Amino acid sequence: MELQLGHRSLPTYNFIENFDLNNDGFEPKDQMLGSKPWISCEDGNNMDNKRSSEVAFGKNTRYASRELPLLLWSGQPNDEDDWNGEKKISCSINKNGEEENRVEGWPPINSWRKKVLHQDQDQARHVMNSSRMAAAGNYENGDGSNSKYVKVKMEGVAITRKIDLRLYNSYQTLTKSLTSMFAKCQNLGNDAARYSLTYQDKDGDWLVAGDVPWQSFMESVQRLKIVRNAG
Amino acid sequence: MLRKASSFPEEMLEHVLSFITSDKDRNAVSLVCKSWYEIERWCRKRIFVGNCYAVRPEMVIRRFPELRSVELKGKPHFADFDLVPDGWGGCVYPWIAALATAYPLLEEIKLKRMVVSDESLEVIAKSFKNFKVLVLSSCEGFSTDGLAAVAANCRNLRGLDLRESEVDDPSGQWLSRFPDSFTSLASLNISCLGAEVSFSALERLVGRCPDLKTLRLNHAVPLDKLANLLRGAPQLVELGTGAYSAELQPDVFSNLAGAFSGCKELRSLSGFWNVFPGYLPAVYPVCSGLTSLNLRDANIQGADLIKLVSQCRSLQRLWVLDYIEDIGLEALAACCKDLTELRVFPSDPYGAEPNVSLTERGLVSVSEGCPKLQSVLYFCRQMTNAALVTIAKNSPRMTCFRLCIIEPRAPDYQTLQPLDLGFGAIVENYKDLRRLSLSGLLTDRVFEYIGTYAKKLEMLSVAFAGDSDLGLHHVLSGCEKLCKLEIRDCPFGDNALLANAAKLETMRSLWMSSCSVSFRACKLLGQKMPRLNVEVIDERGPPDLRPENCPVEKLYIYRTIAGPRFDMPGFVWTMNGDSV
Repeated sequence: MELQLGHRSLPTYNFIENFDLNNDGFEPKDQMLGSKPWISCEDGNNMDNKRSSEVAFGKNTRYASRELPLLLWSGQPNDEDDWNGEKKISCSINKNGEEENRVEGWPPINSWRKKVLHQDQDQARHVMNSSRMAAAGNYENGDGSNSKYVKVKMEGVAITRKIDLRLYNSYQTLTKSLTSMFAKCQNLGNDAARYSLTYQDKDGDWLVAGDVPWQSFMESVQRLKIVRNAG
Repeated sequence: MLRKASSFPEEMLEHVLSFITSDKDRNAVSLVCKSWYEIERWCRKRIFVGNCYAVRPEMVIRRFPELRSVELKGKPHFADFDLVPDGWGGCVYPWIAALATAYPLLEEIKLKRMVVSDESLEVIAKSFKNFKVLVLSSCEGFSTDGLAAVAANCRNLRGLDLRESEVDDPSGQWLSRFPDSFTSLASLNISCLGAEVSFSALERLVGRCPDLKTLRLNHAVPLDKLANLLRGAPQLVELGTGAYSAELQPDVFSNLAGAFSGCKELRSLSGFWNVFPGYLPAVYPVCSGLTSLNLRDANIQGADLIKLVSQCRSLQRLWVLDYIEDIGLEALAACCKDLTELRVFPSDPYGAEPNVSLTERGLVSVSEGCPKLQSVLYFCRQMTNAALVTIAKNSPRMTCFRLCIIEPRAPDYQTLQPLDLGFGAIVENYKDLRRLSLSGLLTDRVFEYIGTYAKKLEMLSVAFAGDSDLGLHHVLSGCEKLCKLEIRDCPFGDNALLANAAKLETMRSLWMSSCSVSFRACKLLGQKMPRLNVEVIDERGPPDLRPENCPVEKLYIYRTIAGPRFDMPGFVWTMNGDSV
């Protein structure tokens, strides 16, 4: 039984016998009506695939003698109506996105960049720290702390963002930046006053931001949350 | 009266040919007749070898005795995503050694995805007296010792570009090896270097090279030093900054802003690692003239990012992280009417949840607002057929369309249908499409559309798509200009491959990994097609220890006149003829 899908189909002839370099390419249309069946090279057991199509199998070939099973083509072209999610192949990415469960090489990000970016952040932090220390400014970061990227969640907003606290030197600059970041999705405008900034500290407690000096805040903050004021 | 081609004076033809520089045209000229073949080969100056294993260096040298520029590519494209194991090959040394002997007047070497040793760099440095341009794109295997040799010996060097290469044991002292008398540098790209370079050497170098037009620094060059560099090179056209953060100090800021104002020729900006937003306004004076802005490494978000981009009204090319969000892309569409290329990269590619509000709407806005859009690379987390159809109709000039929906096999999120129709509209409307990357949930139908409409398609990238061999068959039998096909994790097997074996000789290469091609089919293909190298990459061990119908891990097939290669590592097997 032949394969037909629209105007194009796989040739229905015996591969081994006709596999001849003198053929100038293949003309599927001409051979669509040919009667010779063609070969499937697998028996399906070791195949890790989810094929829904099966093909007719030819006899009288070297490969036929290896007793590959005779399979029949089920014949129906792909049709949007056919797709009711049955063919959906389960995704191998773990939903919590842990590194161990990542699909290799996906998404297609240049792997060099991943490595260098981490290096960059460490290096730049080092450069930043050195230049700050050299400036003998009022800002000290002598503990060589790790990344100060913290998650920021706002009540009612689906998207959790991340910011680098290292960029800010006071509560004022921080809240200003957060307002502008979140205001766009919430159309807050003047409503900013109705929200408070809270943070989770090293002990896991949630506190209102602003009570402790900026330095202590920077050292203990783990994540931020913007909550609506009660009442 | 008929004139024979041979009665046309050779010198005349040679002169005419000197205006023909495109490889394709040159190749066409060489096929006209024997005398044209001869004349052409003697005056060809540049050659591009898209696959270093397609031909042996001796063959190139024999045919083209007067080359001045050689460009080679090594590993398959998927090597960028760690899909090609280390040690696979692509070592350039044999080429360099051959070129060194044959072309003492060689001026340019451009390599992509090749393994370049320090020894190769030393040979380059010492063999070509008039060497001018070295480009190492996504290469690896060398250290700053090799660079030091180039700096010390190439007296006429005009360009040194290390874009995206991995350089070992970085130390900044190699820059000092450029002699004080060296002044010819026009282009320097060291953005990939991990460690600090000697700033004083850099500053002196920049200051004494009046032709320097391109300078891409690495992140280790601190912001407070940038102003000095710029004042030493106000003629710069392309600049990549280093780290773009420092304590906000008024004098540093005004110094920097002043230096940028002095760079009247600046058209391209990149770099911006670790941006401190307070310093962004320093670049505002140059924004209106910028045609290219690369913020791929810049952690600028929200209003700062939108403000920066909105000032660049002449922008033609923008590379940016998805921090730009739909709202930023709307602003871009409103301001940058000359935009031809957009690339949006994911800031958090492995996060399970979206961290930014970037959806299909952003791309739709850009397609609506920017009629000259030609090239798109877009990473996002959701897509609809309707959006793709709209995008398809809005951008008739598209030649390169690459969409990456981060979740494999993600359907149209509104209808839960496959994205076949959307991509079908893409290929049907983009008559000049040369490059396409697919993603999302796709059945064999999308490949039928591609085979039917994508007649100019040269490169196709496919992942987690299709239902059966029919998909692959549609592409191989329909896409007449197909040159490179790379496939991963698709249920494509032996039949389509064997049915279209002859097609493979018209293409540069085919990559298939985590598909269903059996070892038996690979052997058959290798035996029957001597002008193809059929290479099985399998880290599980020799494929003949498993049943023949077992699928191979990875398969790389490419046309070649060089025969099977001999530098294969232990996990690569060639399927050619007797060696199987």
